Amino acid sequence: MADALVVSSLAKRFGGLAAVQDVSFTVREGETLALIGPNGAGKTTAFNLITGFYRPDAGSVRAFGSEIVGLRPYQVCARGLARTFQVAKPFGEMTVLDNVMTGAFLRDPAPEAARSKAREAIDFVGLSARERTTARDLTTIDQRRLEMARALATQPKVLLLDEVMAGLNPAEVDQAVSLVHKLAGRGLTIVIVEHLMRAVMAVAKHIVVLDHGQKIAEGAPDDVVRDPEVIRAYLGSSYAR
Amino acid sequence: MAIPVRIGVAAAGAILAAALPLVVKSPFALDVLIRILLFAAIGTAWNLLGGYAKQFSLGHSAFFGLGAYTSTLLQIDLGVSPWIGMLAGGVVAALASLPIGWLCFRLRGPYFTIATIATAQMLMLVFLKLRDFAWGAEGTTIPNLGSAPLMMQFAGKAGYYYVTLALLLLGLAVTAWIERSRIGYYLVALGEEQDAAEAIGINVPQVKRRIFMISAFLTAMAGTFYVQYIYFIDPQTVFNFSISIEAALVSIVGGVGTLFGPLVGAVLLETTSTLLQSRLGSIAGVQLTTYSLILMAVILWRPTGILGYFAELVARRRAKRAER
Amino acid sequence: MVEIVAQAVINGLLIGGIYALVSIGVTLIFGVVKIVNFAQGEFVMLGMYMSYFLGTGLGVDPIVSLVVTMPVLFVAGVLIQHFLIRRVLGQNDLPQIFLTFALSLLILNVSLMAFTANYRTLHTPYSEEALHFAGLYIPVAKLIAFVVAMALSGVLWAFLHATDLGKAMRAASQNREVAQLMGINPNRVFAVALGIALALAGAAGSLLMPFYAAYPMVGQVFVLMAFVAVVLGTLGNVIGALVASLLMGVAESLGIQFIGADSGLIVVFLLLLATLALRPRGLAAGVQR
Repeated sequence: MADALVVSSLAKRFGGLAAVQDVSFTVREGETLALIGPNGAGKTTAFNLITGFYRPDAGSVRAFGSEIVGLRPYQVCARGLARTFQVAKPFGEMTVLDNVMTGAFLRDPAPEAARSKAREAIDFVGLSARERTTARDLTTIDQRRLEMARALATQPKVLLLDEVMAGLNPAEVDQAVSLVHKLAGRGLTIVIVEHLMRAVMAVAKHIVVLDHGQKIAEGAPDDVVRDPEVIRAYLGSSYAR
Repeated sequence: MAIPVRIGVAAAGAILAAALPLVVKSPFALDVLIRILLFAAIGTAWNLLGGYAKQFSLGHSAFFGLGAYTSTLLQIDLGVSPWIGMLAGGVVAALASLPIGWLCFRLRGPYFTIATIATAQMLMLVFLKLRDFAWGAEGTTIPNLGSAPLMMQFAGKAGYYYVTLALLLLGLAVTAWIERSRIGYYLVALGEEQDAAEAIGINVPQVKRRIFMISAFLTAMAGTFYVQYIYFIDPQTVFNFSISIEAALVSIVGGVGTLFGPLVGAVLLETTSTLLQSRLGSIAGVQLTTYSLILMAVILWRPTGILGYFAELVARRRAKRAER
Repeated sequence: MVEIVAQAVINGLLIGGIYALVSIGVTLIFGVVKIVNFAQGEFVMLGMYMSYFLGTGLGVDPIVSLVVTMPVLFVAGVLIQHFLIRRVLGQNDLPQIFLTFALSLLILNVSLMAFTANYRTLHTPYSEEALHFAGLYIPVAKLIAFVVAMALSGVLWAFLHATDLGKAMRAASQNREVAQLMGINPNRVFAVALGIALALAGAAGSLLMPFYAAYPMVGQVFVLMAFVAVVLGTLGNVIGALVASLLMGVAESLGIQFIGADSGLIVVFLLLLATLALRPRGLAAGVQR
């Protein structure tokens, strides 16, 4: 399999704080990679660096072989990288269908074509019954579904999901997990930032662990959870002996 | 409303409006109608930027003034017809919107609004100083040619009425087209969540720039018309802050981001203002006092405006029906 | 030449003290309540008219009338927060921007109807007095205004740093969530912030009255000045607004001296636009929520 995303030596400081330092990892085409770590580890910052919302101080991000550092977010999206936000950002006054159409316009400027592409994406995430609902009236999980559908409508090759399970109840987490499986089944490359270990173990074959902005471990889920560094980062040093 | 129904309604409205001067002959009534149409047209232009894209400008008098001065300068210095001057004014305003936008779009929310106020007031101060080029603070009268339709001058008020009606219809047509095309969706999206809009591939700065140009162009055309109508131009008149205020107000009261909101708002505000003036005479401050009270009432009780409120009712009913 | 510049700088600093009172009010409201108060200038105007009528009606000295204008406008601020601003908090930009804008229009135009557009001046025994110092000319009325303005700013600074309520306001302006976790009642803090800001605007009005004419549109210059100062000094920062206001006063005064007598406003707008052009990113970051 070819490399979809190659992140090398990425670094970003905010004032005196090194939010991300010297982080490198590679996402292979078609795989699901999870970026995990305690609060403030730099996961969301890494997302913002990859997707052009922040400009890194150093390092490079190559998507399918070409450099994307320095591109604006909309250009990154045009290169086939779509993201969701930790706090869902739906276009509140628009209906679900209009929200997703807005994403579909990237590849299909004609409204009719965009509408049918949008319906496909809405159907895929299981939101068809809410098609005409105003986005701000959706429940939390439906807003997450909407975010995914909207990102999906831009026809990405890589989907970056930022804590899509946060705030969901256990039954909803199961639904979200199966949705991620379904996305992966379509051959999409997925990078997922997640807090919930149960969900991570269920979806990812490959895990990168960040702590204080640095990569402290990487590997298969079973190896990573046994890594003393990881246990220390998550539970405090007293547990890691 | 389904699209054919809407077009039907719009066509019927346009025909009715076109026939109105055959019935209404009083110059006073026509003057009121002209003011309604004029501010509906300006509001419609404002609505593209302020209503759909939620970039709340209070500096649209800049474009109104630029349109007015461009056509007047061309007419008086070079004898160019205001019809051509109107287009030239639109181009000048659209070009001026680029540097103004470059400055103002760096800011979001209230600070964007403040920046637009500052740029428009600045332009007025500049034109007050331009004595040799553009008559300075004294302004100038526009030569009255009697009935000269080719120079946008008409014997009766009906001619002016049709010009404003055409301006409004142009604005509505542009808005209706934008509403249904991709750019319309992009405008609402960036007005709601700028980051999310960028994340799904929308070139936000470019979209803002383009809609600002269109909005400026349409506003400038109204400026040209206005000075032809009142036969006079000076900076205090055509760059007046109250033009910026009314452009925003008719849209907000009628319903931001709705096709006919500015028209509804203009009917309401201008009618109120006319009634007040006929009761109280023209006391300084009455009109804007009333407008500010209406604005406050709308903000506190119906922030989506009159049409926005109806649209919500319709949408809610539709959503309920879909769930059943 | 040196003397002309020095004189212009002095004039600018003196009026800059008044600008500071207005700017600090704007920045306090923005910092704590996250609202830009477009009507701040109109409260300066109301302060001026109150002092004017107290002076002409009861013979009260405008500086003394501070003890009336400040409490009255404090109460006005609390009421405005309670009955108007509270209702649009948490909503989107449109109501937040246009509510205080409508308030500004309302106060201005009601004043226009009530007081007419005529300029009104109040003569005090010290209105024409001036100190002469090393060839410089320092009008007493402006000097008093400056000293009182600085004293009020100092009191506010002490209040924000030394009292629990003041600390709560600073906490609220820095981090809404943290402030709520600390058990701070936001409505009370917001009301006090509005009250203080309006009281400062009223004080500015009273202090202006001995040497400045009152008319309904008078507040607009001050609010625009305040917007520039607040943007220059970064939003929500009291000391920043103070320093920026003094600089603005000096810049305006130098502009009037060297560009032409009627160009004070042009200087203000140029400063505002230059500020926007030169500090785009930091500004935008400070403004977005």
